Amino acid sequence: MKLRVLIVNGILAALYVAVTAVIAPFGFTNIQFRVSEMFNHLVVFNKKYIYGIVIGVFIANLLLSPMVGYDLVFGVGQSVISLLITILATKFIKGIWLRMIFNTIVFTFMMCLIAAELHLALNLPFLITWLTAAIGEFVVMAIGAPIIYMINKRLNFEKVV
Amino acid sequence: MMNIIIGQYVPGKSILHHMDPRSKLLAVFALIFIVFLANNWVTYGVIVILTLVAIVLSRVRLRFIYKGLKPILLVIIITFVLNAFFTKSGEAIFDYGWFHLTTGGLQQAAFISVRLLVIVIMTTLLTLTTTPIDITDGLENLLRPFKKLRFPVHEFALMMSIALRFIPTLMEETEKIMKAQTARGVEFSSGPLTQRIKAILPLLVPLFISAFKRAEDLAMAMEARGYRGDIGRTKLRLLKWGLKDSLLLLVVIVLIPVLVLLRG
Repeated sequence: MKLRVLIVNGILAALYVAVTAVIAPFGFTNIQFRVSEMFNHLVVFNKKYIYGIVIGVFIANLLLSPMVGYDLVFGVGQSVISLLITILATKFIKGIWLRMIFNTIVFTFMMCLIAAELHLALNLPFLITWLTAAIGEFVVMAIGAPIIYMINKRLNFEKVV
Repeated sequence: MMNIIIGQYVPGKSILHHMDPRSKLLAVFALIFIVFLANNWVTYGVIVILTLVAIVLSRVRLRFIYKGLKPILLVIIITFVLNAFFTKSGEAIFDYGWFHLTTGGLQQAAFISVRLLVIVIMTTLLTLTTTPIDITDGLENLLRPFKKLRFPVHEFALMMSIALRFIPTLMEETEKIMKAQTARGVEFSSGPLTQRIKAILPLLVPLFISAFKRAEDLAMAMEARGYRGDIGRTKLRLLKWGLKDSLLLLVVIVLIPVLVLLRG
């Protein structure tokens, strides 16, 4: 792995944690409203951002989530699986907007993993939990798409790493 | 807003503080799953006693543990109520339409709340007695076998260390930019939703620009100092596995057959 890729991803992970901590300290339990989840859209521009996002999720769950143990397994798992699906799909989907829409759908759907986590750990009803968790994720990802798109115009994410 | 503590580490000299991060990581991860073996009063009793022993050994003030539990109290209450009112087993205490309160439901609710409490306390103890850097070192070491499968273990640990180093810096930066934009009339915490969404953009653009600039500087500094990956690299802090670490793992391993034997 190139040094530049390493460092940019390290800093991106720090940014994920910082934004999680400062902007929305209410993002845990079954209504998830993490503004930083919109960073998931970065893989649409360049698949190398996956490391930073996954590490960001890992550290945020390790340091900030009260359900550390479960979130580390399921939360990180959800991010890894969803990001990989999107990365694989980008080969076939052309156009940034289409990819972002696809990414939003994948992440919203994969909240079933988080619902499974809460169902296993707390015996919460699976479908209702999935619905509430998915709504939060969908809102953040849908709002995040145009925001990340505009930031990309300034920064050109594809070329940074 | 700066009172959000990143990493809950509390310095101390207890036996838990002095343990190798690898043994603590392994034990906590194992316990998260082992707790599920408990299914009656005796097995839950064993686990609660173990948790209490761990709290005593950590010599962390209860105030800190309570702080770790506070954000999850609501979740515990919701879980308790949902489980108590929607589980039908045992004798009925109260029955009205959708709501049934039974002895079995109450027991189930109590068990699940205790399970959650135990897991949260165990993981809180890990982060209270281990610095994030130690956790990273421990993880890098534990994941070493995956190097053979060409998983970039060292690179991951380095990215984690960089992230941990820059979290406080970037948090400060985020707050600074938020204050600067608030001074210009941007509302982050009040006003209609659309306005608050629009407020995110003037926050994230400068934040990303400054973060990527820091990455640029760091890349240059590391290259100038001749960073070449993990080949021939030495460490400032060496991990030391001791008798107490082996003992901790032994307790965890013995716990499995004990719970299997005692469970109903």
